Amino acid sequence: MRFWEISKRNLKELYRDPVALGFLLGMPLAFILIFSFAFGGQATRPISIGVVDEDQSQISAAFVSCLENIPALEVVSPVYESESQAEEELDTGGLSIYLLIPRGFGEAVERRQAVDLELAYNEADPMLSQRAVPVVRAVALEFLNIPVPLNIELREREVEIKDEYINYLVPGMAVFGLMVLITSVGGIMVRDRAKGFLSRLMTTPARPSDFIFGYTLPFIPVIIISVAIYLGVGVLMGLSIIGNLGLAFLILFIIGICCLGIGMILGTLAKSEEQASAAPWIFIVPLAMISGSWWSVEQMPSVIRGIAEALPFLHAMDASRAVLTRGVGLEAVKDDFLFLVGWAVVIFIIGIILFRRSMRS
Amino acid sequence: MCPCLSPGLVSGSSFGQYGTKLEPHTIKYAIIIITLLGEMRLTSPKVEPAKVSDDLAIQTLNLTKIFNSLVAVDSIELNIKKGELFALLGPNGAGKTTTINMLCCLLKPTGGTAKIMGYDILKQPFKVKEIIGVSPQETAISERLNCWENLSLIGKIHGINAKELKIRSQQLLETMGLTERAKDQVRKFSGGMKRRLSIIMALVHSPEILFLDEPTLGLDPQARRAVWEYIVRFKGEKTILLTTHYMEEADFLADRIGIMDEGKIDALGTSTELKISILEKHTMIIYAWNLTQKVINEMRGRYKEVEVTDGTMIITDKKLDFKEIVDRLHSLGAIVRSAYIKEPTLEDVFLTITGKELRE
Repeated sequence: MRFWEISKRNLKELYRDPVALGFLLGMPLAFILIFSFAFGGQATRPISIGVVDEDQSQISAAFVSCLENIPALEVVSPVYESESQAEEELDTGGLSIYLLIPRGFGEAVERRQAVDLELAYNEADPMLSQRAVPVVRAVALEFLNIPVPLNIELREREVEIKDEYINYLVPGMAVFGLMVLITSVGGIMVRDRAKGFLSRLMTTPARPSDFIFGYTLPFIPVIIISVAIYLGVGVLMGLSIIGNLGLAFLILFIIGICCLGIGMILGTLAKSEEQASAAPWIFIVPLAMISGSWWSVEQMPSVIRGIAEALPFLHAMDASRAVLTRGVGLEAVKDDFLFLVGWAVVIFIIGIILFRRSMRS
Repeated sequence: MCPCLSPGLVSGSSFGQYGTKLEPHTIKYAIIIITLLGEMRLTSPKVEPAKVSDDLAIQTLNLTKIFNSLVAVDSIELNIKKGELFALLGPNGAGKTTTINMLCCLLKPTGGTAKIMGYDILKQPFKVKEIIGVSPQETAISERLNCWENLSLIGKIHGINAKELKIRSQQLLETMGLTERAKDQVRKFSGGMKRRLSIIMALVHSPEILFLDEPTLGLDPQARRAVWEYIVRFKGEKTILLTTHYMEEADFLADRIGIMDEGKIDALGTSTELKISILEKHTMIIYAWNLTQKVINEMRGRYKEVEVTDGTMIITDKKLDFKEIVDRLHSLGAIVRSAYIKEPTLEDVFLTITGKELRE
């Protein structure tokens, strides 16, 4: 078990340097705290929303009063009777968002037909609609008490139904944070190369796989702790976990393993410590952007989306989001899961091949 | 929590689709990326049984290494006997470390090969690695581990059992005078102590051949001397190949010395043999009064080179007779205060052979 001996050594090197370890484990904490305070839904003020009731039926009036009772919303009174009034308010800045209850709303509810709602908002504040839509949807569903087909339209466009941003954010941040781990993983190897220690180990009978596993295993506790921090702090900041936490944890763990392997590959290829710490950023930031860490990749050009889909990160985010906030099971994310596992295996095989080549340059 | 988040109620929209569908083009992109990331070449070298060779521990056959256009090692032929301490002496950049790195299977030769105890470095690298111990030029120890842990790491990679490892480590730590500090993290050690640990890390698995690459680089003269004393203790037990650019080190330690410059081994032999080899030129230094122009002219007429500065005469020729020169000077009226024939050093050998100074 040569790899075990190497990994024991690396574990000691890593964990006997409290400052470096502090940075390594402090990073996820700092990330998730800053981002969830900045974008989390819990600490924000209620959304001030105008309501236009064109239907003027009993049902629509009851719906409005239902909206008024929701703490997350602050319905501007009085309720507008025509859209032009609300539009004017929106244009002059008196309102940032309003909800239009169209004619025929009550009728449609009675007949259990599709109900159309429209949200108009100030373009300068797109986040507002993302926050308002789920609330309105929730109220509508609660009000009707039965699963009626419900369409909420943003002006002319169908609204993308989003969860609260924190639910979107936490899995994204977790994957991004694990991607950042790439910069640290290769570090020990590169330092060892600079100091000749790696050469010493290479003059022993240790095989390439001993090196790759020996240098990655010590980071496994770091991944586990990081994922726990992301999810734990996420819950404290308002993340609603519906699905199987263990499955979500496993998905994030596997993408963490992929990141370890990528870090190891960069550590193998890097000629200096500077290269090893700087090079990953060239990939990490663009990859995080196109992989949906912070925003949806739906609207991106097909080439970009193709790249994002071919890489494992987007799959990890989508699958963990689906499991965490919509409670889907393994069956539903099986494709993503297998894709991730496949990538992890491929990355480690590539790592071993590249290391093998680097052993006799 | 909003009721809207319960599964099944949310429909339509992009976020409603869980996961990402794996389209055929996704797989295609993945394959392209994988192919770009690494060339899939796995080759397993054929292993031939080791030839149980004569009394040679290391044998190089036209060993050559070329980096781009720089010939770092130029088809060297070396035969090092079992139990011998052989020093490669040469300035920085002579190709010494490159040679060692090829012999340790860290670098692939551009041409030629070498046999280590009969194992070919190209065909049986892992066999070679089992029987060698290397102390690289950089101290190459694990800074946050203590001596025991450093020794144990190397020992266990070599598959030594815990009991034997403990005994050997204890012996080695004692030999190198490190027992007292054995439990301290080695980052707190002095340069000399780190070097000593580095050397015994190359010995902990009882290798048959020990490579010491510049074992005293960067040490002050006192610490260097101490390391020499320790290395001497392993002389005769192991075959040792040492590289150095300190001629005193080669002179003090080595059974045989190879003088290396610009990738070639220019001269080979014991220290004495090398010195004798350049003895076709002798130098005598004379401090005397009354070295008149007449005396100087007379001496220049008899010997090949005669230089005079401030009452010092330096005579160089193929053959010098001490008594004859002193008598002749006396008879010419000069008064000799002191005189000696200069013994050649390895520095002189190096200068004569390569036309360069060893020290920068």
